[in-house]
Amino acid sequence: MKGNVIKYARDNIDTDVIIPGTYLKIHDYAELATHAMEGLDPDFHSKVKEGDFILSGKNFGCGSSREHAPIALSHSGIKAVLALSFARIFYRNAVDGAFLLPIEIEQDAYDGISEGDEISIDVSVNEIKNITKNQTYKMKPFSEIIGKIIAAGGLFKYKPDQD
Amino acid sequence: MGKTLFEKIWESHVVVEKQNNPTLIYIDRHLVHEVTSPQAFDGLRQNNRKVRRPDLTIATMDHNVPTTDRSLPILDQTSSVQIKTLEKNCKDFGIKLFDIDSPNQGIVHVIGPQLGITLPGTTIVCGDSHTSTHGAFGALALGIGTSDVEHVLASQTMWLEKPKPFEIRVEGKRKNPHAVTAKDIVLSIIKNIGTGGGTGTVIEYRGEGITDLSMEQRMTICNMSIEAGARAGLIAPDEKTFEYLRNREYTPKNYESLVDSWKGHLKTDRDAKFEKEFILHIDDIAPQVSWGTNPGMTCDVTDSVPSPDEFSNGDPNQKRGAEKALDYMALEPGTLIEDIKIDRVFIGSCTNARLEDLIEASKVIKGQKISSHVKAMVVPGSQMVKKQAEAMGLDKIFINANFEWRESGCSMCLGMNPDILSPGERCASTSNRNFEGRQGTGGRTHLVSPVMAAAAAIHGHFVDVRKLDLS
Repeated sequence: MKGNVIKYARDNIDTDVIIPGTYLKIHDYAELATHAMEGLDPDFHSKVKEGDFILSGKNFGCGSSREHAPIALSHSGIKAVLALSFARIFYRNAVDGAFLLPIEIEQDAYDGISEGDEISIDVSVNEIKNITKNQTYKMKPFSEIIGKIIAAGGLFKYKPDQD
Repeated sequence: MGKTLFEKIWESHVVVEKQNNPTLIYIDRHLVHEVTSPQAFDGLRQNNRKVRRPDLTIATMDHNVPTTDRSLPILDQTSSVQIKTLEKNCKDFGIKLFDIDSPNQGIVHVIGPQLGITLPGTTIVCGDSHTSTHGAFGALALGIGTSDVEHVLASQTMWLEKPKPFEIRVEGKRKNPHAVTAKDIVLSIIKNIGTGGGTGTVIEYRGEGITDLSMEQRMTICNMSIEAGARAGLIAPDEKTFEYLRNREYTPKNYESLVDSWKGHLKTDRDAKFEKEFILHIDDIAPQVSWGTNPGMTCDVTDSVPSPDEFSNGDPNQKRGAEKALDYMALEPGTLIEDIKIDRVFIGSCTNARLEDLIEASKVIKGQKISSHVKAMVVPGSQMVKKQAEAMGLDKIFINANFEWRESGCSMCLGMNPDILSPGERCASTSNRNFEGRQGTGGRTHLVSPVMAAAAAIHGHFVDVRKLDLS
């Protein structure tokens, strides 16, 4: 996975700014995506490109259980969110629906990666490469369970291990 | 070693547990509403699946229903479609629905307990983060997303990584329990542990400060567990719990024998171990007001707005967050909270729209009028709450004070229906989230208790309700 980073250098990006409540009535995902991040960054829709990543601080996706949040980001072209930590329902929704990868990073990646940097992510070796700055960072590995659901392509494709 | 209440409920619901796999747990009750369910039902249809246990699934419409005259048509087409879609889905899949005209309609987390659907020791899920509310009855109640809603509809189970038990002890006695409420206790907790303080845990609230609370107050506490990042919050059931659920419309017929089985069992053993602990002493806590854009950005009503440096303790992200919050909220550090003027008052939401909340708020406003520059509304949590309040004459007290008295629903808590703030409007709100734009684009939310909201409506700014006669 390779793409450019859109950085929101703050903690507690909540689901109400990712997709404001008024849009939860929209069923068309492409239309939903036009309102992604609208509560925080009205320019998001015009600047985001297919394959981009979001980078942010702690507790990303806190608040509502609305699956519309990872869906809106995913249909905007976002392939992964890199954050210091995630709110659990957002994390779970992102994985269950195979909408995007929630990647937990350490402080070095958070500090090292700037807005617009081109990075590549290799989850098989838990590594993030900053192509722009020629730096490498470790990502926190997915737990075994989450890795299996991601590898299967989401909750409904995941088959638990058989005895 | 002994077990925590959470572990006991968890263990009694395990269907499949294997090393290195998530645990499959059985779900006793699934509550469904119109916003997070349509795609889940579509998924069932696409895969020719049925609802596994329609008898354990209950639906209502609350998030985008109008709170104005229900006999009038809904003009907003997308809301109308979502409401009709839930009606069709419930009909097609054989699910009990409390529709917009039902006397049992209301916010899903208000009606569950009110109808005796929420029971101690059970697992409850709903596609809504404030499902944690039901934990007040000693249930393990989890908010889930739409994929999990579909999974539970199809299988009555869900996969879950086991959360860690977190003990929050609330010690002491409030000097003025009418002025310092459950809302102030839970806001104090979040102010202290932070919005991520409970991440990956199930909180058990314990101690005298919790057992002293009524069931409705306990629901306010558990409701906001999610605002501390917790998976769920719960309180061990006691006589108050058992009494509250007795003789409700859906209370099980064998209720008394269930109570006997819960007593003694549904509590944390003396030698159980929690993985995390926090203690709050409440003897001297003040009414709380949020000043920022998450529930952790909260202070005493007697404080002034903090500077980003004071708030952040040297954490640069916290500092930037506080700067952005103050900018969004149009507040200057050093401004006394009591000097903040408000434009709107919202008494409602699954946090604070139950009968006791309305009774307490009505004491503040009885015989008075709201400030001339304030618009205020009361949105009862359910039709049943509304009816009970009207039987007590509370509607007249609010209406005479120039409050609007509305029909039940989520309303201005999340700004899905026409009940929204205009850009720049400042609201004293009894809801649970002060996120940017939560109550409408550009709207500014201050989270407070119902008595604080009512007093702000009368005075046009925040006041320390401990100075008022609330007896």
